[in-house]
Amino acid sequence: MTGPYDAVIVGAGHNGLVCAAYLAKAGLRVVVLERREVVGGAAVTEEFIPGFRFDSCAHLIDDMHPAVVRDLGLAGNGLEIRRPEPTVFAPLPDGGHLTVTRDPAATAAAIRRFSTADAERWSSFGTAMRPALQFLEHVRAATPPELPPARSGDFLEYMKLGLRLRLLGAREMTEVLRLLPMSAEELIDEWFESEPLRGLLAAFGVRGLFLGPRAAGTAFAMLGGLSVGSEVVRASGMIVGGIGRLTQALADTVVANGGLVRTSAEVERILTAGDRATGVVLADGEEILARRVISNADPKRTFLGLLEPTELDPEFVRQVRNVRMRGAFAKVHLALEGLPRFRGSDAETEPLQGAIRISPSLDYLERAYDDAKYGGVSRAPFLEATIPSLTDPDLAPPGQHAMSVYLQYAPHRLQDGEWDAQRKEALGDLVVETLCEYAPGLDALVHARHVTSPADLESVYGLTGGCTSHGEMALDQLFFMRPVPGWARYRTPVEGLYLCGAGTHPGGGVNGAPGHHAAREIIRDAKKNG
Amino acid sequence: MARRYDAIVVGGGHNGLVNAAYLARAGLDVLVLEKRHVLGGAAVTEEVYPGFKYSVCSYVVSLLRPEIIRELDLASHGLEILPLESTFTPLPNGDHLVRWADHDETRRELYRHSPRDAEAYDEFGRLMLQLAMAVKPILGMVPPDPTSFRPADLTKLARLGKHFGALGSDKLAALVKLMTMSSADFLNEWFETEVLKATMAASGIIGTFLGPMSPGTAYVLLHHYMGEIDGAYRAWGFARGGTGAVSESIASAARQLGAEIRTEAGVERILSKDGRVTGVALESGEEIDARLVVSGLDPRRTFLGLLDRGDMPPDFVEAIWRFRIRGSSGKVNLALGELPDFTALPGNGPHLRGAISISPSVEYLERAYDDAKYGEFSRRPYMDIVLPSMIDPGMAPPGKHVMSIFVQYAPYELNGGWNDRRREAFGDAVIDTLSEYAPNIRDAILHRQVLTPADMEETFGLTEGNIFHGELSLHQLFFLRPAPAWANYRTPLTNLYQCGSGTHPGGGVCGAPGRLAAQEILKEHRS
Repeated sequence: MTGPYDAVIVGAGHNGLVCAAYLAKAGLRVVVLERREVVGGAAVTEEFIPGFRFDSCAHLIDDMHPAVVRDLGLAGNGLEIRRPEPTVFAPLPDGGHLTVTRDPAATAAAIRRFSTADAERWSSFGTAMRPALQFLEHVRAATPPELPPARSGDFLEYMKLGLRLRLLGAREMTEVLRLLPMSAEELIDEWFESEPLRGLLAAFGVRGLFLGPRAAGTAFAMLGGLSVGSEVVRASGMIVGGIGRLTQALADTVVANGGLVRTSAEVERILTAGDRATGVVLADGEEILARRVISNADPKRTFLGLLEPTELDPEFVRQVRNVRMRGAFAKVHLALEGLPRFRGSDAETEPLQGAIRISPSLDYLERAYDDAKYGGVSRAPFLEATIPSLTDPDLAPPGQHAMSVYLQYAPHRLQDGEWDAQRKEALGDLVVETLCEYAPGLDALVHARHVTSPADLESVYGLTGGCTSHGEMALDQLFFMRPVPGWARYRTPVEGLYLCGAGTHPGGGVNGAPGHHAAREIIRDAKKNG
Repeated sequence: MARRYDAIVVGGGHNGLVNAAYLARAGLDVLVLEKRHVLGGAAVTEEVYPGFKYSVCSYVVSLLRPEIIRELDLASHGLEILPLESTFTPLPNGDHLVRWADHDETRRELYRHSPRDAEAYDEFGRLMLQLAMAVKPILGMVPPDPTSFRPADLTKLARLGKHFGALGSDKLAALVKLMTMSSADFLNEWFETEVLKATMAASGIIGTFLGPMSPGTAYVLLHHYMGEIDGAYRAWGFARGGTGAVSESIASAARQLGAEIRTEAGVERILSKDGRVTGVALESGEEIDARLVVSGLDPRRTFLGLLDRGDMPPDFVEAIWRFRIRGSSGKVNLALGELPDFTALPGNGPHLRGAISISPSVEYLERAYDDAKYGEFSRRPYMDIVLPSMIDPGMAPPGKHVMSIFVQYAPYELNGGWNDRRREAFGDAVIDTLSEYAPNIRDAILHRQVLTPADMEETFGLTEGNIFHGELSLHQLFFLRPAPAWANYRTPLTNLYQCGSGTHPGGGVCGAPGRLAAQEILKEHRS
């Protein structure tokens, strides 16, 4: 038996590490326990193929929650975040392409090839979306107040948000309210006519969701891909050396502040006494006592896996069971002997540094979803590929490249059968074949590949249902409803047990906000309780 | 020129008539102008085939506000609502599900499919009833403007906040889920029987251009529980004489209260001067003066069809343009020589006195939607069928029947466009699908009327064939219906008002928009 610690954090995903780093900085004795031999959770870089290192799951980062970078001194920790140009390179079946860069004028010029009207509306679209984005920044930064307001603080928080909304202007306010429940298709319809642009924008609306672009709430999701700045589309970041560098830097920060990070330490159960969490027990039987337990695991794993149902209210258990965690995502990693050549791409402009996305039209995405909603893999899937070895040659042998391809939709739960080796190979084939339609000859460059199926996302990375966001980011699973109504403030029905993962507000993506917010609440409680 | 009226109501649909009746009741000198030869708009009964009366478009009386029935004394004007007794869903495998008006019978039937669902059904019903009651006051109120700092709006918003706050965390959360989820997901949390989920989900997609798996379809489930609050499974039913009888009774009440009603008097333009309406011009060229004009037409028709765009602020015109009004349904009316004989439940029986739903599974409905998404009518559509002659024998000659089939999906924007050939192909798809369940149907047909969304637009003036004057999606409801800042039945033109389903609380034969609009108008115009 070791301890007692002030806090034990279950899982060294990026949010667990962010939370731990804050707690350690605040002077708490913390230990982070990671099941795997490597920290990072879904933000990890692994050498799947000798000589080639890939970002296993997440390969692009959102803007990190601004306070996180500053407070944890990540920049000084040798961490280098790049905003690649172009932001998105979207090849089209006819050999054309649409390239989005940070320069709105250049993007408009690219759009002009498909529609003059769309090109002219590009910047004003960005401007029109800005009030909603500004408002959502405030929402994302807040700990969700309860609804209906239970404490005066809740009431105040709603007043504050209401006022922020109203201060945008009367017209802007109703526009924000109108926008949030829309579908991506409805919003896009109001602005744009050319399919390449519609497909490109709609992809932001469905990425990470088991929904098509005609589903209500996907407009909100789409906003997540847009920027408050002039560039309209938010420039995702790539971590030089792989996304694992980010979580390694976070782990280093934890240690530098006196915390402990243990790998190969699988938590089997959360220990409770009365209604209180008292520590954890590891798979090997070791008990680690702590004054509080903070789970970076998703809500289902935490409440249905690490606790006994008898320790929880049945209604709460029912609600946790009802959290939708339907994954439809997979990753295929390709070791390439050379750089693929996309039709219509212009070699001199290096169009492949950012995200390469296959989403040529809105209906392409909808049809991809159609296959999946009945339990099949999309015959023509949405793909998002990155070639980080272009930015950091160390990721692949000289002259060769490591390409990571995110695929959607491949349902975790198939209509017929399981994710066996044969299915995985078929998925790999599908990715290569699909890419070949846009980059002929790519198949000849592939000398090895590694497939991470939706089932692997669950078994290897602990993502229940293969859901990368720890709970679908649909309208009914956001803010004060995340993960379940009444428990959106990082606390849980078990005293001393907190959540800090993507299953809490503001949700998925590599941004550290849930970890940051959870730490904020935990430190507040710690001060109150002495 | 003729006399000047206090008010002209454009369109003799049920909302226009309700509006006119209330204005007349308050002493205003009212004229209703209807384009067709028959009153009622989409709520009409017509004898298209001799001896057989079709409720041509709208076919059930769902949520007609009880206060309207009471205040206008519609019963004395001949309104009689006959209850729909059941919902019968035949299955391709020969099984079926019937939900009866009788609670115990329904329970037994559900138990046959799943004891768990039979238990959950009651609990579900209780929750929905509570939520319906919570939402009900909203349907009866003029939407406040959330951006306004006017005391009236602020008071209303505070009252709403308090009202919903009082629900408590659990019910409020359930309400938020209901408003945002797909009906399939919402029902999945409760039930396991596919046919039960599908038949319930089907009520969430009527009139929408969404599938049951689309978020935003769950809240329409509430509508089914709305009626029951008002004393009444009875609130869901037929009007004796068809849906047109509802319109007739309202018209009769309006006339008695002093309103004048003219048919075959299509309005071509609303006349205005300096931002203030002065009357209307008819298609015949006749001009009629009025102090105020109320439009019962849909927003697109009213603002983009009857007015000059230059008379309205560009923002408003833009908002009306983007107001979604895609039609998604068709209608098939049949005159039958004999009753349909369902394989799943053969012969005549009480199951034919209610609704018959062709909705065997959620996937069936979703696939029907998939066709429509890409511009085709559903090869195997969802159908909501009633046999009005089973309840009201006056609808058909003795021993014969009329069948009303609401069909979804039929997109207004059909690939290649609608024409006679495509209309008949659509009708064939309906009959082919139906005959899989009731094989005798094809031979029983004496006459068939097929209405496509294009026909609905053409005949009833429903833009794009949308039966609700605008889709009932979340961002087109309450203070956003039909446009932000103009959800209070007023318009950017002084003395021009709107009272159709394109305003809050929206579609269905409920009359609420017509009544709420009248209340607002009377605040500003007493006789």
